[in-house]
Amino acid sequence: MTTAVLERPSAVRELDSSAMTDTKPDPAELRALFEEQAVPFMDQLYGAAMRMTRNPADAGDLVQETYTKAFAAFSQFEQGTNLKAWLYRILTNTFINGYRKNQRNPYQGTIDELEDWQLGSAESITQGRSTRSAEAEAIDHLPDSDVKEALQSIPEDFRLAVYLADVEGFSYQEIADIMKTPVGTVMSRLHRGRRLLRGLLAEYARERGIVAPEPTGRQK
Amino acid sequence: MTDCGCDKAKAELEEYLHRELSDQDFRDVTEHLENCEECTNEHTVGLTLTQKMQRACQEKAPDELRAAILLRLDGAGV
Repeated sequence: MTTAVLERPSAVRELDSSAMTDTKPDPAELRALFEEQAVPFMDQLYGAAMRMTRNPADAGDLVQETYTKAFAAFSQFEQGTNLKAWLYRILTNTFINGYRKNQRNPYQGTIDELEDWQLGSAESITQGRSTRSAEAEAIDHLPDSDVKEALQSIPEDFRLAVYLADVEGFSYQEIADIMKTPVGTVMSRLHRGRRLLRGLLAEYARERGIVAPEPTGRQK
Repeated sequence: MTDCGCDKAKAELEEYLHRELSDQDFRDVTEHLENCEECTNEHTVGLTLTQKMQRACQEKAPDELRAAILLRLDGAGV
């Protein structure tokens, strides 16, 4: 199958369960296992924490708290199940219960009920078949900072769903478990989040003047 | 060969991209994309958006953070 869709290598990574014996491991063993299995996810967790908290100091605190909680609960982690998803669940819970409370977010709790027109629409910007390849080109040429800025500026629940699906490659079901919402809500957040992002990126591209010229002669 | 058509393909492109479709639906959409420039372009935009985000969001945890976390593991006990 050569169709260009996303691979999901990280989500299906199998952990080596042979390191775990049937007997209860002693603290030193558990510590070694944790370092071997969980610590390698630090860069990824930090990246997610950066998108969640939007600043390095809070992101660092969040990751540190996540690892402390994860280590404390590690003896209950079932070897062979998805450790990455388990860590993201702790990260997301910690963020939602701790950090988010301290942030003003006028949309919280109501964002899923907003109508599409209230969110703005990417349709008007991205309409027309002839402009789509130009649009992909433009997105590709934007600096990374624009992409991060666009992600920062969409509502948090959308941002989380998009980040978990597109950057981390979690399945919809895994995201539903991490965010504690039904799969349908995940899909709706993803769809709306991606649409908002697409609109923002098209806007940034226009501001930077890097939108490829619209091809002529291929109108509908 | 029965093409599933643009409506079905468009509605499922996001799930297609995220590999959330059943095998049958996946085949249907793949087949449609092979014959439809418009939907292929739409899929390309979606794929580009995802890949761009993946590249843009790469972060490296600061060394001090890594050191602090490892230090805390040693002090924490279980």
